[in-house]
Amino acid sequence: MSIADFIAVLPILVLTIAAVAATVLAAFRTGHAFNAALAACGFVLALASLAPASKAAPRAVTALFSVDAYSLFFTGLLLGAALAVTLLSYGYNAGREGGLAEFYIVLIIGTLGAIVLASSVHFASFFLGLEILGVSLYVLIAYFLGPHANEASIKYLILAGVASSFLVFGMALVYTELGTMEFSRIAMRAGAGAGPLLFAGLAMITVAAGFKLAAAPFHMWAPDVYEGAPAPVGAFLASVSKGAVAVIILRYFLQTGSFAIGPFFTVFTAIAVASMFAGNILALFQKSVKRTLAYSSVAHIGYILVAFLAGGRPGTVAAGYYLAAYFVSIIGAFGAVALLSGKEKELDSITEYRGLAWQRPWLAGAFTAMLLSLAGMPLTAGFLGKLFVAGAGVGEDLWFLVIALVVNSAISVYYYLRIIIALFSPAYGEAAAPLPGLPLAGSVALGTLTLLLVFLGVYPAPLLSLLEKAAAVF
Amino acid sequence: MATVPAEYALGLAAVLFALGLTGVLVRRNMVYVLMSIEVMLNAAGMAFIAAGYRWAEPDGQVMFVFILSLAAAEVSVALAVIFRFFHRTGTLDVDKASSLKG
Repeated sequence: MSIADFIAVLPILVLTIAAVAATVLAAFRTGHAFNAALAACGFVLALASLAPASKAAPRAVTALFSVDAYSLFFTGLLLGAALAVTLLSYGYNAGREGGLAEFYIVLIIGTLGAIVLASSVHFASFFLGLEILGVSLYVLIAYFLGPHANEASIKYLILAGVASSFLVFGMALVYTELGTMEFSRIAMRAGAGAGPLLFAGLAMITVAAGFKLAAAPFHMWAPDVYEGAPAPVGAFLASVSKGAVAVIILRYFLQTGSFAIGPFFTVFTAIAVASMFAGNILALFQKSVKRTLAYSSVAHIGYILVAFLAGGRPGTVAAGYYLAAYFVSIIGAFGAVALLSGKEKELDSITEYRGLAWQRPWLAGAFTAMLLSLAGMPLTAGFLGKLFVAGAGVGEDLWFLVIALVVNSAISVYYYLRIIIALFSPAYGEAAAPLPGLPLAGSVALGTLTLLLVFLGVYPAPLLSLLEKAAAVF
Repeated sequence: MATVPAEYALGLAAVLFALGLTGVLVRRNMVYVLMSIEVMLNAAGMAFIAAGYRWAEPDGQVMFVFILSLAAAEVSVALAVIFRFFHRTGTLDVDKASSLKG
């Protein structure tokens, strides 16, 4: 490896060093603020290191990584999301029992796994990144001794373990058939004709990806895990974990042209439609805000898959824009739940949100904006995201998927509005428990996310120009 | 000297994988479920060795070492979580982990 190679993977190196440094320093300084600041510094430095890395791009670093506009864009997105989660966790964690230093260390390591996924073009780095991310999540979900945290973590780790085994077995089958684990070579060799082993391998990789993305019919774990996990970890699960898997799957399928093999286009169409309907219809019956958001994130994966299936440049740009908009909105929505949660108990039932707009007008306003963006209302990022996805779908004549998307957007408005109406309706007679004070770091993060949401919703040009470059990679 | 065809090893790996999956679905004790997941992961490792053997490349064995080490990391964290669950509830039954519903 040359110096230029090291510069190209600088974000990965910075996070690795940050994780090691945080582990060593946690032995001496266990203070909460110190460790949170260290993690935030790590993420900011990694974001800053994208500038030199982009000068070295495009560059293939060994057979494992490809640093190009695509990987750099999504690395930046994932790091930004991780930074927002760190700030939101700081207020949420403050005053909770137990050592808090390790929370941030594991958060850094999980994000490291995610950005490894963003630039990997080889099965080995794919598997490594996914496992680094997954194992960190087991810890984060069960970090606090909540009533459901252990159970949520166990549910996640059993299903994620099974999904990982499916993934590696599928990879082994593809390798048996084609004799290579590099995405670009898989593309060349698979073109010669798909044998049964390649077919089975791809099917197993699809199942594993479905689990990790929480796409229907593999979404059963999502609501339980999102509900049991602490709210900032829910934000991390819904954004960084899901987004990183979406990014690598999009790269894998675009680069290897696997949608063209056998019935995989139809299979993914079915998964997309099932995710949209299952997510939105089940969300209608939820009483818990976190479960509603979990089902909403299942539906959002369905929307993103529409852009995947459209493929090509418009599809990639739409998927990237949608992911960015979805990241901002879902982190913001979970962040609002985190900011409203006290030390003893999280504010979770929708009825508990009644009258909040009168006690915490700004926070309720930000939460409303996030929910409207998830529903796809105009002037928010979510609206433009849906517009681009629908445009990409129409461009490829995927009318069935586009109609499903429009119908589902209409269904979803109902349950988002239900939360918003609760926020703005008068509180019940009895005096509600006093709300916790607003932590500064979390409020700043939520405020920034809200501004970003509106900015992306009215002025998409800067992000689009970045995404055009990213899409030109394929 | 007669050699074992790679297909045989792949077949064995598939059988092991199916056994592991059956264990995950059938077993009620969390520790056994975890062991079944280990069997599945190692079956995948075995498939990689068979594939590396077929192409006469070391890549399959490299992947096997990756799988082995990450399975170890996974099981250590998983055991810690299961241990804490046992502490709180006094049971290892997967069906008892059902307080989250809806």
